[in-house]
Amino acid sequence: MKRRSRRALIYLALVAAQVFALFPFWWMITTSLKHQVEIFGGLEFLPQAPTLDNFAALFDRYNFGPFLANSLLVVAFSVAGSLLLGTPAAYALTKLPTESWLQRQALIVVLLVRMLPAILLVIPFYLVLANYGLLNTRLGLILVYTGLNTGFVIWLMQSFLAEIPRDIEEAALVDGDSRLSALRRIVLPLAAPGLAATAIFSVINIYNDFLIALTMTSTPDAQTIPVGVSTLIGKIQIQWGPMAAAGVVGALPIIVFALIVQRHFVRGLTLGAVK
Amino acid sequence: MELRYELVCKRFGAADALIDLDLHAPDGCFLVMLGPSGCGKTTALRLLAGLDDPTSGRMFIGPRDVTPLQPRERDIAMVFQSYALYPHKTVAENIEYPLRIRRLTQTDRQERVAQVAKMLNIDAYLERYPRQLSGGQRQRVALARAIVRQPQAFLMDEPLSNLDAQLRFQMRAELKRLQKSLAVTTVYVTHDQLEAMTMADLIAVLSNGRLQQLATPAEIYARPANLFVASFCGSPPMNLLHGTVTNGHFQRAEGTFPIDNGPASELVLGFRPEHAQITMRGAPDSFAGEIYVVEPLGSETLVSVKVGADRVNVRVWSDFQGQIGDHCGVRPDASRTVLFEKDSGQLIKGSTSGSSKQPGTGGVRESA
Ligand SMILES: Nc1ncnc2c1ncn2[C@@H]1O[C@H](COP(=O)(O)OP(=O)(O)O)[C@@H](O)[C@H]1O
Ligand SMILES: [Mg+2]
Repeated sequence: MKRRSRRALIYLALVAAQVFALFPFWWMITTSLKHQVEIFGGLEFLPQAPTLDNFAALFDRYNFGPFLANSLLVVAFSVAGSLLLGTPAAYALTKLPTESWLQRQALIVVLLVRMLPAILLVIPFYLVLANYGLLNTRLGLILVYTGLNTGFVIWLMQSFLAEIPRDIEEAALVDGDSRLSALRRIVLPLAAPGLAATAIFSVINIYNDFLIALTMTSTPDAQTIPVGVSTLIGKIQIQWGPMAAAGVVGALPIIVFALIVQRHFVRGLTLGAVK
Repeated sequence: MELRYELVCKRFGAADALIDLDLHAPDGCFLVMLGPSGCGKTTALRLLAGLDDPTSGRMFIGPRDVTPLQPRERDIAMVFQSYALYPHKTVAENIEYPLRIRRLTQTDRQERVAQVAKMLNIDAYLERYPRQLSGGQRQRVALARAIVRQPQAFLMDEPLSNLDAQLRFQMRAELKRLQKSLAVTTVYVTHDQLEAMTMADLIAVLSNGRLQQLATPAEIYARPANLFVASFCGSPPMNLLHGTVTNGHFQRAEGTFPIDNGPASELVLGFRPEHAQITMRGAPDSFAGEIYVVEPLGSETLVSVKVGADRVNVRVWSDFQGQIGDHCGVRPDASRTVLFEKDSGQLIKGSTSGSSKQPGTGGVRESA
């Protein structure tokens, strides 16, 4: 009896947490489906006359297409790039003697970049990009994000890779693999949950970034969704409807991606947590 | 292929894990490296596999000097103590992995896998994942992955140590048969002297990174090269009594025993439990003692006798009647004793005959 009431309490708490977490989302979706009049009209939980006008306006009038494309491109390339750079580096770090001076120093140096607030890095990055004519380009953004995110990838992947038993990799070496093919065929598949978790964190970090994108870009040629949405805040009026629509469209790729890697992701989180 | 270690040393930081290992295993030999935990067995195996580099020395597989070669160039197969199965691959995929790397065709691979799986009785589990198997089944899969190709040598690191006693007994026999039928030179590492004695063609006893003795099990049993080997091999191990030599007699406070002229110094007299008799106290050539404990083993009985400060084990027939506390004597079988130098611990005089394991005759029935 006591156990059941405890369970009920736990579920109640979980439901409350869900409502708390999902309500803004619900509000965003309903708002995106309401007419301007209705948005300002009062607290309606369901749109009285659902409309897709906001979405149409978003793409027709507010140029959302290029923003979305820029975001997807920049995120895809910088996440792929930082995984490609960071994972081999993390692998190499696991081959240093565990907890050795060298390993610790290397990890601290890698972390240093992450510890600096982004606002401190914005100006140097701006100057470098300006120097190479990469301001307001997607390539420029990709380079900055890749650089910033690689350290994060090294840290996460280092702890995931360190948990793969040495014996298993060595068995592959004895069975006839080279270091590289053992890494590709045995180590990386075993690190897949870690890769998925790292990838999703990276995607969210980069996709959400506002400060760097705002500084490095100036036109829809390279501006990303967060910057694009900010243009909906006019001097006189805030376009709530299209803004909510932008939120919905902007959240979609992340949700789809999260659903795809979800299975790995949860395993990845707990895998890392054991350490 | 014959295997050879030539003056191989391995140092980890300041610690020597392996010192001047010189070892030769002829083609087709079942070589067991035996020694207590931490003596360097795994290190020796990893060096031969190419997973670690020696600090100095060279290793040969057949005529090839493999010292500078990568593991995959050495063409050996290894069974790890942890089995090291690939957790994301099924049993069949695990076993065929070495073949896949060697680019065998799918039909060839399937044929070999089926054959090996049948040989090791795991053909029913081919589609399972390692985590769905018991310890014994995993051990067989690890073995199957090793024997699925014909390597130059098998290296096995305590492959039976994670199994229960029953399964270990069974697998010991199967492994020995398997090795003989495949006739591939095998280095088998264990800390279990029983495994070494029962399976090996040759035993290499290691202690503290040094090779103590390389010999057949019979030789090791009858003439251990030093006190370490004497006390490590055999269950119970060889009896060792400290004493001095005067006038061709080994002397202790509890009695004397005639020996060939040894150097006049302090010696250790060694004899196996089955190469001694329980006598009455004061019988000629016996050491006076007191029965410490009597352990019936079914087919025979093990009597532990306190001789001075030392304990001596004697195997007798199971109709032995003595009781704890009874006074008695222990008389070693003169033709089966060995002598060690006390200071160096080295064998001085080999015992004169082989190592037939007959329980000692003649237990005394009465107490003195
Ligand atoms: N990677 C290593 N780093 C430092 N010391 C090691 C390493 N591997 C083994 N040793 C040391 O070398 C000695 C022999 O180890 P090992 O070969 O594993 O022994 P065994 O397999 O006989 O139990 C031990 O004292 C061990 O602590
Ligand atoms: Mg070991």
